[in-house]
Amino acid sequence: MAHHQQQSRAHLTLSDRLYDIASNVYNNYTARVFLIAIITIWAVMTFTFALVRLMPGNPLDVLIEQILTAEGVSYQEAYDRVAASFNIDSDATTLDQYFQWLGDLLRLDLGTSITSPGTKVIDEIARFLPWTVFAVGTGLLISFVLGIFAGMPMAYYRGSKLDHILSFFSSFSTGVPNYIWGLLIIIVPGIAWRWFDIGALRGTYDAGLTPGLNAEFILSALEHAALPVFTYVIAILGTWMLSMKSSTTGVLNEDYVNVAEARGLKERTVISSYVGRNAALPLFTQLTISIGFVLSSGVVVEEIFVYWGIGHHLFQSITVRDYTSLQGVVLLLTAAIVFSNLFADLTYGLLDPRVRVSGEK
Amino acid sequence: MSALSPEIVLRVDDLSIVYRTERGDVRATNHVSFELKRGEAMALIGESGSGKTTISLALIRKLPKNAVVTSGQILYQRENRVQDVLGLSRRQLRSFRWNDCAMVFQGAQNAFNPVLKIRKQFEDTARAHGWTDKGAIRKRALSLLELVRLDPERVYDSFPHELSGGMKQRTLLALGVLLNPQVVILDEPTTALDILTQRAIIDVLNDMQRQLLFSIIFISHDLSLAAEMADTVATVYAGEIVEIGGVDEIFYRSLHPYTYGLLTSVPTLEHAQDVLQSIPGSPPNLIAPPSGCKFHPRCSFASDQCQLESPLLQLDDETHLAACWHKDRLLASRKEGV
Repeated sequence: MAHHQQQSRAHLTLSDRLYDIASNVYNNYTARVFLIAIITIWAVMTFTFALVRLMPGNPLDVLIEQILTAEGVSYQEAYDRVAASFNIDSDATTLDQYFQWLGDLLRLDLGTSITSPGTKVIDEIARFLPWTVFAVGTGLLISFVLGIFAGMPMAYYRGSKLDHILSFFSSFSTGVPNYIWGLLIIIVPGIAWRWFDIGALRGTYDAGLTPGLNAEFILSALEHAALPVFTYVIAILGTWMLSMKSSTTGVLNEDYVNVAEARGLKERTVISSYVGRNAALPLFTQLTISIGFVLSSGVVVEEIFVYWGIGHHLFQSITVRDYTSLQGVVLLLTAAIVFSNLFADLTYGLLDPRVRVSGEK
Repeated sequence: MSALSPEIVLRVDDLSIVYRTERGDVRATNHVSFELKRGEAMALIGESGSGKTTISLALIRKLPKNAVVTSGQILYQRENRVQDVLGLSRRQLRSFRWNDCAMVFQGAQNAFNPVLKIRKQFEDTARAHGWTDKGAIRKRALSLLELVRLDPERVYDSFPHELSGGMKQRTLLALGVLLNPQVVILDEPTTALDILTQRAIIDVLNDMQRQLLFSIIFISHDLSLAAEMADTVATVYAGEIVEIGGVDEIFYRSLHPYTYGLLTSVPTLEHAQDVLQSIPGSPPNLIAPPSGCKFHPRCSFASDQCQLESPLLQLDDETHLAACWHKDRLLASRKEGV
């Protein structure tokens, strides 16, 4: 790959030098995957931009119609007023709009919401995002830890009654989608058994509380998050358990586990450093990748529990055809997935020395 | 139990092992007895599936879960203390393993935990047996790695995947003697290595044994390796030791047709290729083994007696034993033949 470096320096032209720089960037693993990530996001966003404009129904026309019928002004005046309130150049062609939007995006400007003019898309995201990250993230971590600890005994006692019971639960947990779990939780313990008042748990915290580091607010936030988190845990847990079981089963057959036992290592050492660590390796990659899906996996669950997170926001944006908000949220979801994959790529080497990437080939 | 003479480090008495399987009991080891002296190297030779590995796994009680020891005892003697491995508690067994008897498994390629450095794996082995001083562990490990002719500093701080196959095998040998065991079991120590690396491993083993004075049991179907390394050779057939004796006695005056068959199935420099023979038939089904002498269906000397009565290992001279009714006929035929 580095054959061009063997050329004599004296004969380097400008294009050679540019090629040099470009190939150095490309040969640097981190830079390369980062570049690919950026290109992926750009492609998805361009696709989204086009898709939004191909969708039937247009919020501008809808508003113009409303103004025309309500106030009886001329079409041009109604058009200008709507265009002004949306802060867009109405004469621009789609291509011009695209470059305008791309330029704004490069400055990290996501524009303003269409349905609530004046509200910046980024501010809305900042308002809803933390709740989703908190609820789904907690659910994901709890299920991951539980799954690892439940999956190992399933492998150690393969074929036992314990294994059968846990395997049945895992398949059930994986097979039933999270929104069904959410509905079940509301209907059975919530409505039929009246264990909790489902109506009081709407939103992300009790009305009238000031967000901040006070006990009352934190307790309320935890209370409101409890059901969605529980739903996520139940719905994801089975996947981790089954992955850990199969991964552990594979590792238990490895020579090095057998040798470790023959070496007279303490059982605890063998289970944690030899079996557990190697079995959990592929699950960490799975975990880092699923972090990307954290934001999108709770859309319906947040609607069911009326938990005001980013999924709820996305749902609302689609319902009212708020295209800028929609684009902003889609960008966020895309970036989350792409960068969590990137993160998984770059961190796997920290866990597994065999794939540690050295700078040079 | 105190009847062991002082030079004996290991005595196996009447060991029988059965694998419980769905198709029936596999009698993998039948009434095996032998003794191993201090500093002695014993080779177990035989075809695949003859039960060599079962015997060696039993020596460190590392048999698969479906194995049952139906008779016998395995006595280790160290500093006049005799212990039966089959009677050890879990905790005693854990400290016995690697400290008194280490086993270098077949295929060192995957013997090391891929995510831990070699250093860590030497350390956790030593720590599990009560060593606490990291410096002392390091010193001992480096001297052993040097003994197996590796670059000690480099290997000690490597991950397993950074070492070649031969280097891993030698590292495993060094790890095997880390705790100064009395007995080291080597299961096919040179299989899967190229011929030059095999040579290096054999030299290293000879060196180590000379310096560290442990006893070796090694399992091999490589007869030239056995000839080179062993003081004593035991031939295993259908889970039984059918012949045992000094290396020269086995190679030049074998008394069991099976041993003789093994020897003549190896090409030598002196004999032309057409003299090379294989043993007809295949190893017996150990779920329903043949009656009498288990080798009789494949044996050219077999008589009615062989079908009915199982021959016992009989002392031929002081150290050489063979379980065959027709030793004399074998000897006579060989004199004619050569």
